[in-house]
Amino acid sequence: MAKLIMRCKASDNVYQHKDFHGALNLALEHVRRHFGPDGVRCYLRQYAKAFHAPLTRDLRRRGLVALKEYFQKIYALEDTVIRIDCSKDELRLETDFCPAVKHVHKMGQTVSPLFKETERAVQGAICEGTPFAYELVSYDKKTGRSVQRFYSASQPKALLRRSSARLHRRKR
Amino acid sequence: MISCTEFIAAYSELFKFLEKKGGEKAVKAFWNFFSDKYLSSSLKRLVKKRGIRGCWDYWKATLNEEAANFTMEVDEKAGVLKIIMHRCPSKGRLLEWKHLKPYADYCRHCDVLYRRILEPLGFRYEFDMSETDKARCSLVIRKKSRQPSK
Repeated sequence: MAKLIMRCKASDNVYQHKDFHGALNLALEHVRRHFGPDGVRCYLRQYAKAFHAPLTRDLRRRGLVALKEYFQKIYALEDTVIRIDCSKDELRLETDFCPAVKHVHKMGQTVSPLFKETERAVQGAICEGTPFAYELVSYDKKTGRSVQRFYSASQPKALLRRSSARLHRRKR
Repeated sequence: MISCTEFIAAYSELFKFLEKKGGEKAVKAFWNFFSDKYLSSSLKRLVKKRGIRGCWDYWKATLNEEAANFTMEVDEKAGVLKIIMHRCPSKGRLLEWKHLKPYADYCRHCDVLYRRILEPLGFRYEFDMSETDKARCSLVIRKKSRQPSK
């Protein structure tokens, strides 16, 4: 019968509680069951507009490099390698898996069929009110592997077609 | 992806979303659902197996992963566990993000979620929320003398 005591300071540890991915998955499922797929999108848009307001401002001010730096930072925190191709008019982000989806599987949960909205609805909301648009080019539900692109909304359509064809070739 | 380091913002916004949709009742309904689903394979399983020591195991893991500033004590013989949260990592972050307004009753989820697991297992759960505006709180879990329900 032990008496134990533990004292910890914030600086003793790294903030990385991966089970929060499972918590988010459950939250999405709860919202989906009660308010449908549009409810999930509406919730995630509300979150993104509120939480990412500084990132949206930065995107307006500095362009796509703001997103590049943001993605590099958060995927590094999740110990995940990504590929980013960024120019003034277009940013392409490719991942081999989503660390959130991977951890949800590890926890033994069923991944919400709307988990991809954590990319699509969130990134779309971040781009609102900026000169940039967003496209979820491909997404694998099992792994969260994805290709995402952010592009100048004023980019001519011919350029967009060329860009999509290039992505398609790369995927094959 | 919503990084696990950004989840707290999504959690707080979820409570706001649910309240707008269905009032406090909708928020409570989520907390109950979440407690049943999220804590049954972690806290509940540990406490069923190890009693008050299971509480220690659970919070030792989560509070360290969340880089909390806390003091925790367990007295297995007395069946008591105390946690003094000097700086809650979740509420602390919500207060630091100046552009974000936290859900007004954000900290209440810690009262609902854990009480719902621990009381049916034969524990008393006391949660002091009087200083949550400073990201501070405390909780005491005591084994009741009667046998827990199965």
